[in-house]
Amino acid sequence: MEPFPLTEPVLLILLSLAERPRHGYSILKDVEKMSEGRVLLSTGTLYGAIRRLLDDGWIDRFEEDKSSRGRQAYRLTAAGRRNLQLEISRMRQLARIASLRVARKET
Amino acid sequence: MLRVYRCLLCLYPAEHRYNYSQEMASVFCDACTDKRAQGLVALISFYFRELAGLIQGAFGEHLQGLLGSRRWTLFAFRRFHMRSEFRFPKSTTALMVIILAGVVLAIEKAKAIQASLPYTHPEVGPIRPAQFTFFPTIALLFLCFYAAGAIGWAVLFALRRSGVHRLAAVSADATQK
Repeated sequence: MEPFPLTEPVLLILLSLAERPRHGYSILKDVEKMSEGRVLLSTGTLYGAIRRLLDDGWIDRFEEDKSSRGRQAYRLTAAGRRNLQLEISRMRQLARIASLRVARKET
Repeated sequence: MLRVYRCLLCLYPAEHRYNYSQEMASVFCDACTDKRAQGLVALISFYFRELAGLIQGAFGEHLQGLLGSRRWTLFAFRRFHMRSEFRFPKSTTALMVIILAGVVLAIEKAKAIQASLPYTHPEVGPIRPAQFTFFPTIALLFLCFYAAGAIGWAVLFALRRSGVHRLAAVSADATQK
């Protein structure tokens, strides 16, 4: 199965976790910051995506030690990181083709 | 508001509720505190977004439980999922309210003019103003869409509860044996 392209919320969630492990609210805030307020995830969308990423083994869940509230945090697995890199190279190639075509049209 | 949110979480399948409801409520609380500090408009739009997200998410979870496929929500094969940079300007809301007020005023003015004019064509019969049929029709359309959505959701929920989605696995096991 060719699993690409990813939806934008899923891509942003993966990018957020690529930096460091995060808990739900931290992902929500980071996605908003990364997209400059353009993508505002609801908790329903976030946890729907998280559940499916967990099922696919792209991320895993663990309990934060330092947190007093015993919150669950999420981190990217090796498979998740590999798939994210594949998606980024796909996008890079797409962007390269797009810029070539647009440049050709302008000249 | 947290109580309402917890009630809406009941729309999700039991397994999802068991695994994530507490965490979702905790994230909702944190986000609520954050949005409250940003002002009333941010808080109201956040509530609407959460409501829509919960309903859509619950529907998606039930559908996925029934169909057993996760591709349609994780991967963008239906359309190109990247959003455009266009942001709906907030001033447009104010302008839309002004335009709506203008339309209502124009309708009232037209009604007054119509009432003052003599009735010249008795064979045609009275012409009903558009607003008498337009708004009820729109309301009826919305009602129909919501009813269709609710019925669809109820059917999926009933099928999920009946365990019909497990039949494929059962028949596969039976053939293996």
